[in-house]
Amino acid sequence: MGILDGIGQGFGVALDPTNLLYVFIGVLIGTVIGVLPGLGPTATIALLLPLTYSIEPVTAVILLAGIYYGSMYGGTITSVLLQLPGEAASVVTTFDGYQMAKQGRAGPALGIAAVGSFIGGTVAVIGLTLLAPPLADLAVEFGSQEYVALTALGILLVTYLGTRHPVKSLCMAALGLFLATVGQDDITGTTRFTFGQIALFDGFDFVAVAMGLFGVGEILYNVEKTEKAQAVKTKLKNIWPSRKDFRDSSGAIARGSVMGFFIGVLPGGGGVISSLASYATEKRRAKDPTRFGKGAIEGVAGPETANNASSTSAFIPLLTLGIPANVVLALIFGALLVQGITPGPQLISQEPEIFWGVIASMYIGNLMLLALNIPLVGVFVQLLRVRSGILAAFALMVTMAGVFSVNNDSFDMWVVLIFGVIGWLMKKTGFEPGPLVLAFVLGSILETNFRRSMLLSGGEFSTFFTRPMSGTIFALMALVILISVVSGIRKRRGRSRPATPGDEDLAAAGMTAEPEGSPGAESAAPVGGAVSTAPQDGTGSAPRDGTGASGSTAHGRGEGPDRG
Amino acid sequence: MTVGRVTVDLCVRRRPTSWGNHMRTPSALGSVLLLGLLAACGGDDEAGTSEEAAASYPTEDIRMLVPYGAGGPTDLTTRTVGACIEEELGQPVVVENMEGGSGALAMTELAGAEPDGYTLSLVTAGTTVLTPLANDLDYTKDDFTPIGVMSEVPSVLAVGEGSRFTSAEDFFEAAEAEPGTLTVGVPGASTPQGIELQRLADEYDVQVTAVPFNGNAEMTTAILGGNVDAVLINASADVVENIDAGAFQPLVASSEERLSWLPDTPTFAELGYESLTLSGSTFGLAGPAGLPDEVVTTLEDTLQTCLGQDEVRQTIGEQYVREEFAGADELGSVLDDTQQAYEPILG
Repeated sequence: MGILDGIGQGFGVALDPTNLLYVFIGVLIGTVIGVLPGLGPTATIALLLPLTYSIEPVTAVILLAGIYYGSMYGGTITSVLLQLPGEAASVVTTFDGYQMAKQGRAGPALGIAAVGSFIGGTVAVIGLTLLAPPLADLAVEFGSQEYVALTALGILLVTYLGTRHPVKSLCMAALGLFLATVGQDDITGTTRFTFGQIALFDGFDFVAVAMGLFGVGEILYNVEKTEKAQAVKTKLKNIWPSRKDFRDSSGAIARGSVMGFFIGVLPGGGGVISSLASYATEKRRAKDPTRFGKGAIEGVAGPETANNASSTSAFIPLLTLGIPANVVLALIFGALLVQGITPGPQLISQEPEIFWGVIASMYIGNLMLLALNIPLVGVFVQLLRVRSGILAAFALMVTMAGVFSVNNDSFDMWVVLIFGVIGWLMKKTGFEPGPLVLAFVLGSILETNFRRSMLLSGGEFSTFFTRPMSGTIFALMALVILISVVSGIRKRRGRSRPATPGDEDLAAAGMTAEPEGSPGAESAAPVGGAVSTAPQDGTGSAPRDGTGASGSTAHGRGEGPDRG
Repeated sequence: MTVGRVTVDLCVRRRPTSWGNHMRTPSALGSVLLLGLLAACGGDDEAGTSEEAAASYPTEDIRMLVPYGAGGPTDLTTRTVGACIEEELGQPVVVENMEGGSGALAMTELAGAEPDGYTLSLVTAGTTVLTPLANDLDYTKDDFTPIGVMSEVPSVLAVGEGSRFTSAEDFFEAAEAEPGTLTVGVPGASTPQGIELQRLADEYDVQVTAVPFNGNAEMTTAILGGNVDAVLINASADVVENIDAGAFQPLVASSEERLSWLPDTPTFAELGYESLTLSGSTFGLAGPAGLPDEVVTTLEDTLQTCLGQDEVRQTIGEQYVREEFAGADELGSVLDDTQQAYEPILG
């Protein structure tokens, strides 16, 4: 099927009234949770998973995808107006967006963010439309060795990127890999670590684990910070940016679209990293870098474009290879598996209505978001008046009802609650649930394919390096490790020199332009849930939680919607 | 008497609400609980009542379990047959997907259910023979009463388009010339297909390397991408499509006789591997052990009527329904044969 036929069929699916409704619900929920600090897209999607079981698979993915890219829009609003990033990918937006707001230019900041988001999202959807089908054709050639290489790369990048403590992330990834071994061994058919429990034959239920660690864990973590967001009084005017604003940011938007697109495709990439990378690039390219951090419109336009582009392109590895690039996509992967659909190279030919329907819904969703965001910004801001305690109670109730409804089994509710407490403790102690869950999902793919490769090659390890594609990926991994070690050493030397705190924030952001994401890279990123009370004055524009690059606050990591 | 009857009905009926689910994990506990309940309700006229109940069967909802998820061929078969039974017997049939543990979850539930004909399940050799042989479980195939065969999905040994093997002879020659070098994808390790390759090695000394995949989609990708030499795969609708499109070349069929829709494909038996007829999947209907004969007969007859209907045959797939109805005895012997063949390998 040609791309045009495909897109035609996709719009046929996406314009179905039910699906249209679900795109709208998705982007609306996405915007709302993007505005609300504390409830990021990961938590929301985890919580809503059980509700998608009863709807058509394509509708389910349309809804969940809408929440994901919708949250990228919503997160901007509070970043600009209150210096509170609604979700982690909008952290960089606080640097210049809030400064713009202080200068009375909150309107154009939000306007350019919405326009940039729309362009970034649309460029990425077009990229997805054009690139995914040939990639899926290529992916048919992928053997077990390539899957081993890709999943290993994914786990490696997740532990390096977007985290400040690679060692802690590695621990979590290892735990995730271990949890993935529970249940039936795919190669021999015998059971492992089940202790005779039939319930464990199929391993831990991904949905229950994810809902617990992300959903309930995050709710509990946020309940601890019950400070009420300050009343919103900002007046918004001139939301549509001026011609000069457009001229200033057009380059940033173009670069952000492309950069976001490619970072999103990487396993472990996603909103947080792409927005940081875009900010760093814009600052480096600027004729006068000192404007950054003082209300440069490019500093808002670029990152906001990039995070939207990446949240769309992250669908490529899932839809073509069956490998989720980040945790949000892992959840969507789970939703499809529950529906009896295994994403992979065959998806386009076997379930074209899902593939093309989801893509077409993204075109529509981005349009809806543009329409929602520009006129309705003021309404969304009012959401911040909701007390987090009330929100938490409500979210917890939805979760429990949702998880119970899956099997009508109260046992599942305990599983979620127990993992919720574990997730909360992990967040408090600075261990990320992200690497754990992604390693949990990728672990079974990695293990089965590794053992399959061994069967196919007769036990020769060289099979991983002699095949061109897997060889290339392993070489890339070696490079990533090398670069990160070198830059780690360099930075340690650099740290011995005194630096002003304000500079370090920006330096920290700047460093992430290099994909190794060195420790400290996102120190300026408070958790989506960090409800800091009042904006600080002065040049150090970082929110309270991450004033220093080397600050060791447990929750200061830039764990994003995608948890890196 | 009437009052007593009502009480028994209430007590016997399995899991009208959610409480039944708690029992599935500790199955022993579940059975004990059930027995306790029964003892409490039974009273002295229990025998008489159950005979009467069997004669007037069915008088209430029939629950049909599917040990796999919604949307697969097992689900389709059960739902189609279930809808027909509902129409024929005039009682609602509720189909329930209870996937998990390679079928162990649903089979444990079925084995523990009251043998009154109100809890039935789709069974396969995999769920009733293989799973309990490969794992430490509380049930065996003898904990079930076979009713009849609903459908059969044969397996085929297939290669991809442009493979160096154009016939079964080519393939087996190569396999014998270089033992263990040919790779054959199977849908899982403890699947009939995986064990069949084991038997090929044990009984006929033809050694190929079995590479387990997760289901048909992954195997299809593997064969299309040239990552395995061949697959031994369930010839479900998606595979038939690929055969028709020419992407798959079927070399051997697993059935006892040639498949009517693949008249040019020889069987394992024709090629000299007489005993290799067990890699297909038989989807049977069964109840718990001790199902009264009247109930079995009623259900067997109804199943036969249903499978004779064109509409049912077409929904399940014409090629998957036997020409001649296979009832309780035939299903029983399929399971017995499988048990006999697999026990030495897995036991």
